Amino acid sequence: MRLLLLSCAASLLLYTLAFACMLDRPLTLGALRARIDANLATGAMIAEPKLVVIAGSNGPYSHRCAIIGPLINRPCINAGVAVGIGLDYLFLRWQALLHPGDVVYLPLEEAQYARTRATVALGPDAAIMLRHDLASLRQMPLDRQLAALFSSDLRAAIMSLLETGLLHSGFRDPRMMATGAANVWGDHVGHTLALGADNAPTLAAQTPYHPTAAQIEHGYGMALVRGFLRWAATHQVRVVGGLPTGFADSPIGDASLAAIRAVYRDEGSDFLELPNRSRYPRADFFDSPDHLNEPAQIRHSWAVALALRPMVDRPIVSPPGQKVRLVTSDADRSPPAQQ
Amino acid sequence: MLFHSTEFVLGFLPACLAGYFLLGRYVGDRSALLWLIAASLFFYGWWNPAYLPLLCGSVLMNFTIASYIHRSAHKRAWLVVGVTLNLGLLGWFKYADFLLHIVAPTAPGLHITLPLAISFFTFQQIMLLVDAAQAPDRRATAELAPYGAFVTFFPHLIAGPIVRPSEIIPQFLERGVATPNRDNLTDGLVIFLLGLGKKLVLADMFGGFADIGFGAARDGVDLSFFEAWYATLAYALQIYFDFSGYSDMAIGLARMLNIRFPMNFDSPYRSGNIAEFWRRWHMTLGAFLRDYLFIPLGGSRMGERRRVSNLILTMLLAGLWHGAAWNFVVWGGLHGTYLVTHAQYRRWFPPLPLLLGQTLTLLAVVLAWVPFRASGYADAMAMLRGMLGLNGIVLPRMIVETFPSLSGWVGPVGIMPFLGDSRTLSFPEVSACLLLGWVIVLALPNVQRMTERSRPWALASGFALTIQELLFAPHVAPFLYFQF
Repeated sequence: MRLLLLSCAASLLLYTLAFACMLDRPLTLGALRARIDANLATGAMIAEPKLVVIAGSNGPYSHRCAIIGPLINRPCINAGVAVGIGLDYLFLRWQALLHPGDVVYLPLEEAQYARTRATVALGPDAAIMLRHDLASLRQMPLDRQLAALFSSDLRAAIMSLLETGLLHSGFRDPRMMATGAANVWGDHVGHTLALGADNAPTLAAQTPYHPTAAQIEHGYGMALVRGFLRWAATHQVRVVGGLPTGFADSPIGDASLAAIRAVYRDEGSDFLELPNRSRYPRADFFDSPDHLNEPAQIRHSWAVALALRPMVDRPIVSPPGQKVRLVTSDADRSPPAQQ
Repeated sequence: MLFHSTEFVLGFLPACLAGYFLLGRYVGDRSALLWLIAASLFFYGWWNPAYLPLLCGSVLMNFTIASYIHRSAHKRAWLVVGVTLNLGLLGWFKYADFLLHIVAPTAPGLHITLPLAISFFTFQQIMLLVDAAQAPDRRATAELAPYGAFVTFFPHLIAGPIVRPSEIIPQFLERGVATPNRDNLTDGLVIFLLGLGKKLVLADMFGGFADIGFGAARDGVDLSFFEAWYATLAYALQIYFDFSGYSDMAIGLARMLNIRFPMNFDSPYRSGNIAEFWRRWHMTLGAFLRDYLFIPLGGSRMGERRRVSNLILTMLLAGLWHGAAWNFVVWGGLHGTYLVTHAQYRRWFPPLPLLLGQTLTLLAVVLAWVPFRASGYADAMAMLRGMLGLNGIVLPRMIVETFPSLSGWVGPVGIMPFLGDSRTLSFPEVSACLLLGWVIVLALPNVQRMTERSRPWALASGFALTIQELLFAPHVAPFLYFQF
């Protein structure tokens, strides 16, 4: 029995040491971490009132701060990264950089509201915190800290070894060639129609996942959003809820929409709902139901900016774009084909 | 209740062990046995209490018939009654819809819910009736309590091993069976934890890879060569780790309760021929089929033609035992054909070199898993087309660019959509996982064959990952064999 207990204890110690101190995933989690840190660094440099877009990957792929910022006349940071990153982690990191007068726009994916506490606790941010951001982890509840300690499975260990090996062997990450890159505001750029052409059959066959209204209403993500709205209200930070982009032929259900609207309404926040409810034809998407292609991203950003403008407590200075406009591609120069 | 759920590991198991040993120590073995029956019924009823009367009724019916077999001069008649009633029960719940669909394809289905474990507890009791008719040993059916404890014994109730009553019931009758034994407790716990790790850490990981490929085939997707092969290889690992993991857990649980179960898997993928495979895969089912089906049908005693037909029939029924569907019949038929081919080969030719024999056997077994896992004929054919390369051979562009010699026969793609999480690095990730899995299966000793010294090392390497999956993974995948 003593040998059994020793084996178990040794296993736990080995696991903790390996995942907290040695194993890392520099290509996958490293890219996410780099994106989060870059966005935070940009946000930290802005002293004036700003707009921060927080969402999953529909944030950077379907929204372009380089367009929205000039149109609402305030710097804009696209702080969405991936749908799996815990909202509690993103809120925690950004709360330190949000000041009275700032606006946070939340076009969150449905899944972000519906995620369970257990799923949130095992998101990629858990491993990031454990390995690289213990300061944030220490501020999390105890159960989240414990889950972060046990967030990595065998696949994570295998991927850590693979990614580390690839990095040291001079591996060229093909993702930039395949999907584009990010600009200084956190927008994803370069996901052009031409690059996305290969994905058309996949997009045509995809069936988007919609959580039920009950899952959204009672999801742990919803509780996190509610908590953030209350924090924002006490810190004079304005929050505007919104809808994620998605296929026009797969709309969010009315009951789900009502549940999403309700949390913002109940907490006294604004809710931005475009006439098309951010739904677009499949041909406007790049590689998934959350990711508009670049031309559609630009059109959507114009529409969002124009709708946001009256909600942002700051007079519009025209012509838009002179102060913070950052042209990142030829597509930015094009006028929106439709709004 | 699942062996790999927190309610079982942290709730049921400690409570069951505590009650069993406390009653055994302070009241007596008989009370401990009754406690074990009650705990097993609670364990079974956790899934659906509506089927508890079916289980209890089956136990009482078979106990009564076994008693008549012992007492009556018409043993054979009572045996026929008992076997017919058992097979009738199994046939109604498991095969009625299947047979109805064959007889009247347009008739509306009966939609009968399959009671959990009915195949296992029915077979166990058929064994008991046959043994009762053949053997004079009456201990197995002398008292209801040990008999009930044997049938309902939770470690094997749901998915085996299919143990012989004559192996287990005498153990329940031993004096001091409910007295804690430190060696048994420790060994049982280690075996249980290693089995738990096989299920949670390995089987469920490979199951995820297999589900993606077979799901795509079901949806009519033309899988490429590597997508099809990787899904099939992953399924071969999933079903091995899942079922052998379950068997290890069952053996470990029984050992903790001072009951010894026979081995059920002995590294079957290392077999040098298909007959050896069936002596190492689901060994207790293989023994049951041999002793209670193949031999009573005549076995090898009535000429070569009869032997072949007996073998094919036995394997077809083995397939059908797994489920009322044609894909299981095809799987059984394939294995029957393999066994007949092997037997004919052995009559005329010397054995193949071991490595060649192992490779051919593994290939044949893996190919037979395709119809077993596929949800229909079209899916199986789609998967086999992919495995033959008829839908093309593609690899991620980064691999093709790294190995330019591949570019002549492999097409480059950005991602392989039905491989792993369809990410840029999914191909190397799934490759590494499969490599690890096959190394464990082909090169390392299995849990039962590990030495006393090597088991702690195995536990040290996997315990934390098991805890991670048990307590923190967001979902629990049921055992594959629960559906059989």
